[in-house]
Amino acid sequence: MDFSETAERISQKVTSHGHAVEKTAIETKLRRLVEEFGVPLAEAERTVTNEMAREFSISGLQSGGPGEAKTLDALVPGEWVTVECKVVALTAPPSPSISQTGIAADQTAAVRFVVWSRANAPALKEGNWYRFESAVVDQYRGSVNLKVHSGTTIKEVPGKGTIKPVLSPIAALRPGIASVRGKVVQEWEATHDRILQSGLIADETGSVRFVTWKEEGRERLNPGTVYTVFYATVDEFNGRLSLTLNTATVVPEEGDIEVSRGDASFEGAFVHLAPGSGLIKRCPVEGCNRVLSRQNYCPVHEIQPNFQYDLRIKGWLDNGEETREVLIPRAGTESLVGMTLEQARELAENTPLGMDEVFLRFRDALLGRYLSCSGREIDGRLLVSGCTRLRFQPERLADLLNRAGGSA
Amino acid sequence: MTNGTETTPAPRREGGFEREPARRVFAGELRESRIHFKEGQDEKSPSFVLLPTGARCNRVFFVGTLTEKKKQGEQNLFYRARVVDPTGTFFVMAGSYQPDAMQQIARIEPPSFVAVVGKPNVYQTPDGAVLISVRCESITPVDKETRDQWVLDCAAATLDRLEKGASTPDGERARKEYGMDPSIFRKMAYEALAQLRL
Repeated sequence: MDFSETAERISQKVTSHGHAVEKTAIETKLRRLVEEFGVPLAEAERTVTNEMAREFSISGLQSGGPGEAKTLDALVPGEWVTVECKVVALTAPPSPSISQTGIAADQTAAVRFVVWSRANAPALKEGNWYRFESAVVDQYRGSVNLKVHSGTTIKEVPGKGTIKPVLSPIAALRPGIASVRGKVVQEWEATHDRILQSGLIADETGSVRFVTWKEEGRERLNPGTVYTVFYATVDEFNGRLSLTLNTATVVPEEGDIEVSRGDASFEGAFVHLAPGSGLIKRCPVEGCNRVLSRQNYCPVHEIQPNFQYDLRIKGWLDNGEETREVLIPRAGTESLVGMTLEQARELAENTPLGMDEVFLRFRDALLGRYLSCSGREIDGRLLVSGCTRLRFQPERLADLLNRAGGSA
Repeated sequence: MTNGTETTPAPRREGGFEREPARRVFAGELRESRIHFKEGQDEKSPSFVLLPTGARCNRVFFVGTLTEKKKQGEQNLFYRARVVDPTGTFFVMAGSYQPDAMQQIARIEPPSFVAVVGKPNVYQTPDGAVLISVRCESITPVDKETRDQWVLDCAAATLDRLEKGASTPDGERARKEYGMDPSIFRKMAYEALAQLRL
């Protein structure tokens, strides 16, 4: 049997009170209690901890004193904590080494929790309140996570009132657990067998993609309906947030809300033309529209010789203080670069560099130019619906001359 | 842990990538920069040049006249070029690690208006002189109107930095380390603007 984890925990507690202690000595004491005297590990931990407390005259060392429990909003990764919280959702454990996963909440916040199979913990029930002693706070995929291991003691406790989850504005979401109220504004075709539904949910402040994985008892949301989503999991993947609804309780709401269309605009110099700009080929399969590789390969529908050509600009605008990634579809691209799709196709077919030639012409036409773009902002990227080249403004010159000459 | 009441996002998400903005700076100011530093221990954390008007700058954007270009090196071919704005000269370099920029330079015949995006570096020569050169990410021929727009843009940015003064940490540091009279740069901006009227 391995005592190092428990010994580590005890020694951390003691050292945090400013006393030096041999970890191996603690381990020996634990081993003796458990192996020679048949004391259960949790009880042995208590005994040794109390012994240490007496030895160093530390009071309140034993976790278990009332009032020592932390609130969930105060958790910091790396800590050993005691918390009292309610299990508000249970989810299917992703691996046999995990016996239960879900979401625990108190009045202040909600966190994901994981119960390891080796913890031999009692099965937690959704809706009950528990006191977790000596659980570990860590970080998993950017969000705080509560780990229940073999040294954690769990006691069911009486409920501490109803919890009112705090609703987050969608624009302020961060990885972790969140509750939002929003309208399903788009529903997307499932890109994977296991997806029950995916789409876009929006409130007054912004929009975020959501996904519900296939699971018993899970239902699809109706596009156009407003829902309050309690305790969804916010994940981050490739810098983009997504809301997983499998952990959530979803309640349909009456009425409608004004959703943000993500209207945004940005002015600045065009400083980088990204690969994937210029003349591109798209997959002709209905509803796919993915960009094909040079070999006409679609990641889903494989070789597509009857592709469709398209024009677009991917790149970065920069105003000297901030940068913004922009994606300009065909119409805006044609007027900005002064080349139609047909002209680009001819150019590609009649020059040795082919599609690269179009890219190079785009680069020469765009880099260093001052542009003003407006459109919808999704995941920090501006999908441009209107774009113009800015011109030299003589009145600005006069203003600046005044400003520079003013208080010299 | 998520708490809905928190609305200020973390300034730089761990592991996340943020593109560094390209500062607008006159050649006359960039030439005076001496301090360069790196924030963070990571090999890939960005390095900055501290401008005398008080802004950290990892990348610059400028538009000027390419007056001279020179091919150098045999096996490691690279280009050196001079780009002139109303206040002085930018020294631009493009080597084999910037193949696109190198090919662009190769096709431009001076004199020509060019827009340059690049990263500034501070070098010290063996005799103690300090040189700032810009490693070029792209260099593109543009028209005079774009050059004039940039002069406005750069003058405005310079004045903004001067007006913020020592109110930002970088501004305070620049004041302390360079000890330069801010009015030099105000005058520089004024004179750059005045040239546009001709």
